[in-house]
Amino acid sequence: MDPRRHPLVIVVGAGGVGKTTLAAALGLRAAERGRSALVMTFDPSLRLKDALGVGDEARDAETPVAIEGSGSLAASLLDARRTFDRLILRYAPDEASRQRILSNRFYDQLSGNLAGVLEYMASERLFEVAAAECYDRVVLDTPPTRQALDFLGAPERIVSFLDSGALRIALKPWFDAQGKLRATARLGPLGRNVEGFLDRMVGLELLRDMAEFFQAFAPLYDGFRARALEVQEMLRSPHTLFVLVSGPGRGRVADTLFFARRLSETGYRLGPIVVNRVHPELLPTRDTASEGRRLLEWLGRRDREGVAELRDLVGASHPVVELPMMEDEPTDLRALSSLGRLLEERLDEAIVGHR
Amino acid sequence: MGLLSRLAQLQVLVVTGKGGVGKSTVSAALGALLANRGRTVLLLEVDPRENLHQLLDTPPSGGEIVEAAPRLFLQHLDPRGLLDDLVREKLKLGPLARKVLASPVHLHFTEGAPGLKQTAVFGRALRLVEGHGPRQLRRPDVVILDAPASGHGIAWMAAPQLVAEVIASGPIGSMAAEIAGLIADRARFGAVIVTTAEEMPVQESLELIEAMDARLGREPELVVVNAIYPPLPARAARDESLRLWAKRRAANEHELGRLAERWGGATAELPLEPVDAGPALVGLLGEHLARAVTGR
Repeated sequence: MDPRRHPLVIVVGAGGVGKTTLAAALGLRAAERGRSALVMTFDPSLRLKDALGVGDEARDAETPVAIEGSGSLAASLLDARRTFDRLILRYAPDEASRQRILSNRFYDQLSGNLAGVLEYMASERLFEVAAAECYDRVVLDTPPTRQALDFLGAPERIVSFLDSGALRIALKPWFDAQGKLRATARLGPLGRNVEGFLDRMVGLELLRDMAEFFQAFAPLYDGFRARALEVQEMLRSPHTLFVLVSGPGRGRVADTLFFARRLSETGYRLGPIVVNRVHPELLPTRDTASEGRRLLEWLGRRDREGVAELRDLVGASHPVVELPMMEDEPTDLRALSSLGRLLEERLDEAIVGHR
Repeated sequence: MGLLSRLAQLQVLVVTGKGGVGKSTVSAALGALLANRGRTVLLLEVDPRENLHQLLDTPPSGGEIVEAAPRLFLQHLDPRGLLDDLVREKLKLGPLARKVLASPVHLHFTEGAPGLKQTAVFGRALRLVEGHGPRQLRRPDVVILDAPASGHGIAWMAAPQLVAEVIASGPIGSMAAEIAGLIADRARFGAVIVTTAEEMPVQESLELIEAMDARLGREPELVVVNAIYPPLPARAARDESLRLWAKRRAANEHELGRLAERWGGATAELPLEPVDAGPALVGLLGEHLARAVTGR
């Protein structure tokens, strides 16, 4: 239940709830306690990059963060497009095919947009990091989508995709040197039907782009299955703990419960649920500014009701931890560290109260 | 032409924005605003999870068209189902092709083929405004598309163009070309970006504005900045308990400034209202929106 005790902590939740900042704070606190920690995040804000003191160099490599104390902290920024580009550079057989792929329209769309790519990349990087065994604490922030749980399913989906044979079909040399579908002639009427269908559906040109793309990745698939299974095992291990972050207010409760159920149903260890940016409770007053206070009173009440409803629905299974709405978002390591300390205090209270 | 008249003449409006900024509430408020102007509006929600019906206090759509108010309708659609509909409608399927349709290759290729789902969604919107709707709502004047939060808005708007480029022939290719034409047409299509006055949403909105210009040669009709802490009441300035408000207001103002530096077009600022999400909030935001777009 306590994220401080787990070597791998995965921070999940809907977009815009402050996951990334909390992941960084957890990593920083582990480092301040003398650990060698790594924070892996997606798409951090400029402000957070400034706070950590890392720039775009962290997109290509784990970059040390200058902290005080005996521990160490590194940050790694995950960017689907750049990770993909790097894979192409590594695996494309020669310069010509490298250029062909990088200028491939399909690639251009796929690398930035295809659902699952970011998740795939995250598990790939997670595997690399775990295999290197350089860190004793890793905090992974998950992609900022509503379907953030896709990340968890990514290795399984890829394994089932590899097993389905669809990939083998995709990797077949579909097209001859003239760009004609090979299968059609051999298959007779069925082949013509397939070709006609696919051409009307997605267009043969697009299929050619895709086939080229998949083939370029062929070396990557060797061993990917094994890696995907290992990542899956790592995610389900008792050493891995999930921290679920929620926005405040009753409107967010349904989303948060959805995440919590999905995590537990799929057999992951869900630890605390953190309700972030909770407005303070203001008692109604009769002072002259009461009209002005109406909004804050309402926000305080809304957030309190949200937390109460969540606690009620989650029951005894997980501690629900509140973090207050901050006057300022953290802009330096000190502010990030105090956010981390506050989170730890609240965790201590919640975990003790929870027992 | 005033902004409201301009919005009221469009046939398809896409409302886009990062998750958690109140995009659905703004879509509903915009729909209510146009319906009040006498337009028949269909709010089309394309997201795995339904939530517009809660904002407008109607039963869940479950794929059907639901009337929420006079001239204001809503419908929830699952994009995957739309894509299958499109395949069935556009392609005359023989038994062999049906086999292909059920195969993992097809599933993976059409699921992965960029832009097909988005094209199917816009295709549905286009059919509706052209008068091919169901009996209940034969021809809405305008379809407001509440685009899914995940992914970048530009992927939605640029998708039909991409599909039209790679599928040069056939029924789907020509439909994609028709939709790309719609999206390029200033008289018929417009985009509204919804954001909050916070760093990441503003950053994403600015990037989307740039991408719209680069990829489509267009700019949004309107940027709606939602849930802004209102200015602190002057008499309350000394109240210590209002410091949080003052700080959040200052942060909002900073982000509004950053937006204004790079976006010179229409902006509607909507205050954070002490009202739960639902019809009352939609009504209130509709009034704010009306004032913002009429300049009163």
